[in-house]
Amino acid sequence: MESEYKAIMIGGSAGSFQVVCKIIAALPADYPLPIIMCLHRLKHVRSGFVEALSIKSKLPIIEPHDKEPLRNGRIYLAPANYHMYIELGNRFSLSTEDVINHSRPSIDLSFFSASYNYKRKLVGIILSGANKDGALGLKSVADGGGLTIVQDPKECQVPTMTTASMNATKVDHIFTTKQIIDFLLKLT
Amino acid sequence: MISNDDIAKVLAAFKTASTYDFSDYCDRSFARRVDKILTDNKISADLFVKQLMSDRDFLEKSVRDITVNTTELFRDPQMWLNLRYQVLPRFKDKPTIKIWHAGCSSGQEIYSMMILLNELGMFDKAQIFATDINTAVIEAAQTGTYKYMFNLNYLDNFDKVMRENPYNFEQKYDVPYEKYFDIDKRKDVIQMNDFLCKKPVFRKHDLVSGCNPFYHQFDLILCRNVIIYFNPKLQNKVINMFANNLSVNGFLILGASESILGSANSSFERMVGFYRKKQTISMF
Repeated sequence: MESEYKAIMIGGSAGSFQVVCKIIAALPADYPLPIIMCLHRLKHVRSGFVEALSIKSKLPIIEPHDKEPLRNGRIYLAPANYHMYIELGNRFSLSTEDVINHSRPSIDLSFFSASYNYKRKLVGIILSGANKDGALGLKSVADGGGLTIVQDPKECQVPTMTTASMNATKVDHIFTTKQIIDFLLKLT
Repeated sequence: MISNDDIAKVLAAFKTASTYDFSDYCDRSFARRVDKILTDNKISADLFVKQLMSDRDFLEKSVRDITVNTTELFRDPQMWLNLRYQVLPRFKDKPTIKIWHAGCSSGQEIYSMMILLNELGMFDKAQIFATDINTAVIEAAQTGTYKYMFNLNYLDNFDKVMRENPYNFEQKYDVPYEKYFDIDKRKDVIQMNDFLCKKPVFRKHDLVSGCNPFYHQFDLILCRNVIIYFNPKLQNKVINMFANNLSVNGFLILGASESILGSANSSFERMVGFYRKKQTISMF
């Protein structure tokens, strides 16, 4: 069955690593939609993150280069110390503009561009995190007609990001990690 | 967010009132930068266009605001380590080494390069050229003065590249900061030493022109995190220009997450983090 969505974007910060690992471990090797992740990370530690996630994943995990075309069935991770955008025409573009909310990559900026590109065909998910980056981004997904999900704050190691998102917009679903996984599997 | 019609008007205003042409910049990032100027100055797109047309200083300032000037001393230490251990030693026995910093911003990359060259005993034979689209950042680069508190990570980067050896953890190089710059904590300033500031040849230059502003072939061209703001067509044009102005076996160094996607790719051999110009048969 053709999904009504074209992409899934996930934002997370402190406390999200384990959740992300569980989610990607649950996805089958033929998962058809692209998963685009913007996670806060240490700016100078370029290597290691992809490798750590790859151990769990049946899908290839890629830190996109600038202007790299986005393909289905892959998991993308915003590279360290760059903002990551989706441009019209489904290419990534990167930028070194100023940090926003102390963050580069900025989850808000990634979500803004994905929402502009995919409109109602986007699923936005915000996970555990210790700042409010991502809240306006998730609102832009809602404003564009896309579907919004936050990890249940009760389950989050640090609920600041999910709470801020819920304050910024009326989210469609508040899900535990298990429910997020079930939802993603049912999407296709 | 600013409308596509307004973006078209802004692009046209730049083209009419100056030689700046942003039409092959990446749409979304250009729109975002212009949007930020409108928000920061609390002006409408129409008023912005009017001011671009009538006020040259305002136009130059807007170019400065549109272009992104993020840089650091030894930004991305791994790149500098590769340069130190893999690339620069290849030029050890050459009489000269010509280096172009394209899109040099406020100069931190140039100073990093000169410090490294000096430690490797290659400073005197190096010729350093640096360009940017933006006169104000070139002036900043020439003075070599940077904030201290805001840039504490410069020292961490310096230590990683200049004092430690990742291939031999027991080896430590004793390179004092004062050899290259003075830190005045009271004035909150890092000041590069005079012998460094005087060396580079600076020139204002817009990569969109697609030409080499110097009468030189280069051994090394650094253009890091500049062409990410260009669309694929302009990226390819610029990379081709670099290929045409690099000596054979010269190196093109892009930002950590940049790569050559278009036809220009055939001129280069990809190495870890670098592109080396291949020997090719001339088509003319």
